[in-house]
Amino acid sequence: MMKYLSLIIILAGAYLAVPLQFGGNDYVIGIVVSALTIAGIAVAWAMLGNLGGMISFGHSAFFGVGAYGSALLAMNAGLPVFPSILAGGVIAGVVSILTMPTLRLRGPYFALAMLAFAEIFRILAIEMRWLTNGSGGLLSIPRLPTVFGFDFGSRLGGYFVVLTLVLLTVFVYWLIRNRPEGLALRAMHDSEDATLVVGVNATRLKAAVLVVSAFLTGIMGAFNAHYINFLEPDYAFNGSWTTLAIVAAIFGGYKTLWGPVAGALIVYLVDQFVFKAIMPSGHQLILGGLLAAIVIFSPSGLLPWLASRFRKEAGDAAHP
Amino acid sequence: MLLTLDHVTVAFGGLVAVSDVSFSVSEHEVLGLVGPNGAGKTTLFNAISGLVRPSKGKMTFCGHDLTGIPIHKRARIGIGRAFQVPQPMHELTVRENLIVAQHFGTGHSNPGKIDEILDLTRLGHKANRDAASSLALTEQKALEVGKALATNPRMLMLDEVLAGLETNGKRAFMQTLDDARQRFGVALLMVEHDIETISNTCQRVLVLNFGKLIADGSPEEVFRNPEVIRSYTGGETA
Ligand SMILES: Nc1ncnc2c1ncn2[C@@H]1O[C@H](COP(=O)(O)OP(=O)(O)O)[C@@H](O)[C@H]1O
Ligand SMILES: [Mg+2]
Repeated sequence: MMKYLSLIIILAGAYLAVPLQFGGNDYVIGIVVSALTIAGIAVAWAMLGNLGGMISFGHSAFFGVGAYGSALLAMNAGLPVFPSILAGGVIAGVVSILTMPTLRLRGPYFALAMLAFAEIFRILAIEMRWLTNGSGGLLSIPRLPTVFGFDFGSRLGGYFVVLTLVLLTVFVYWLIRNRPEGLALRAMHDSEDATLVVGVNATRLKAAVLVVSAFLTGIMGAFNAHYINFLEPDYAFNGSWTTLAIVAAIFGGYKTLWGPVAGALIVYLVDQFVFKAIMPSGHQLILGGLLAAIVIFSPSGLLPWLASRFRKEAGDAAHP
Repeated sequence: MLLTLDHVTVAFGGLVAVSDVSFSVSEHEVLGLVGPNGAGKTTLFNAISGLVRPSKGKMTFCGHDLTGIPIHKRARIGIGRAFQVPQPMHELTVRENLIVAQHFGTGHSNPGKIDEILDLTRLGHKANRDAASSLALTEQKALEVGKALATNPRMLMLDEVLAGLETNGKRAFMQTLDDARQRFGVALLMVEHDIETISNTCQRVLVLNFGKLIADGSPEEVFRNPEVIRSYTGGETA
């Protein structure tokens, strides 16, 4: 009950309160959109980390491929923007199949291989001038359309779109987590033999999560391309898409459903609105300290820590 | 024939853990596998499950040559396994353990059968509890059997599932296994140290010693065999 109630409050706040309060302030909405973009990548990243047991440093590749894929389809093939965002996700998912050989690698080797993979795509985007216009980048990428008189191309329109995409990403994650495939994936890391002898094909499941994670990350990239209407390789394939998502996911709790979202919002919004005001240059230092503190005091992240505090308080209240 | 082993050898480097073993198991049979510690019983199960690869010999199950069948496909053809050291699936509840086993072991879902297994293994009251942290040893062993049953096995390999239980617990567990056999028509291949239990439940007994199969016959016959008696009395120090 509590769960549904808080979900409804959050949804009402996100779809009504935020627009009513800040709808006219493009600066604030712009920062919230960035935070939500990071949140989407963070959820997709955490899905691979938590279910697949794989720590990827290469998600910027999927973000960039989704962004370029969607932008190019809309610009050169004249695809309407929403379908081309979906196609951008599909392209990122397909591209992730190229990384499958790395699934055999464990721990740091997988992370390193993915880092190299992302770098290859950044270089490809610079070198394939005929397609991507190289470092010159893509200009005037079609903006999100006006539907029923509402301009999704505005800052506020972008906010509604990215918010919905993030919620859908969480929903997909939730669905997978509770299916037998998701259960098997969660069990796999600590109980490999147990899952094998009941018929779980670990390699195939991991490959499937990777594709889904890449698809969802690609969607965020594609959205971003049409939201800012401009792309260049060093932006779209920037490693900080990955690192910000990792920081957000670990800060919020990468094993929880909402941890990565909470992490992204807190890390990004607090940094931009609070720390930046206190310390205009070098404000990331405070953030770094905060992250270190969370990792030391609650290695599983902020949400699990809050949940245990809450349970304790409730317990104390029940037995004074 | 359900399972046939034909001159199977498993070696770890220079150590021959299973040496030139041949036997077969027929449908619905209850077969005991005994032998001193280190005789190679668990390794034999691992070879049949696919967790280790025999260096020589051939195994068939229901007419399938097991050589080319990867581990995760062996559950589908009907090979069930309960580990000696219970291996509950971590991070999942008891019911979720069974759901995963059923989904991947059979390819479809049947919640009714899961409830039946929970009931049979007396784990119903713990269905929604965390499998790795909230079960006593007996319950963990029951879950081992439950997971295997959820895959619809035609043969169930039980590796010392009775070890560590006191007499009443043993009796109750044997009852569970017997119920499972009646309801699901599964053949049992069970490793067990207690000769009395084996004599009471098994129609046939295999004896392994230093990886070699030294006897194969009815309990009366096998436990009278001087070589078997010698392996049992001398086995501990070897
Ligand atoms: N993975 C392995 N690597 C090396 N040696 C092993 C391995 N598994 C088992 N052994 C060895 O094989 C022999 C048989 O062991 P095991 O099959 O566990 O015996 P049992 O189950 O009859 O007690 C032992 O000497 C054991 O040390
Ligand atoms: Mg053993």
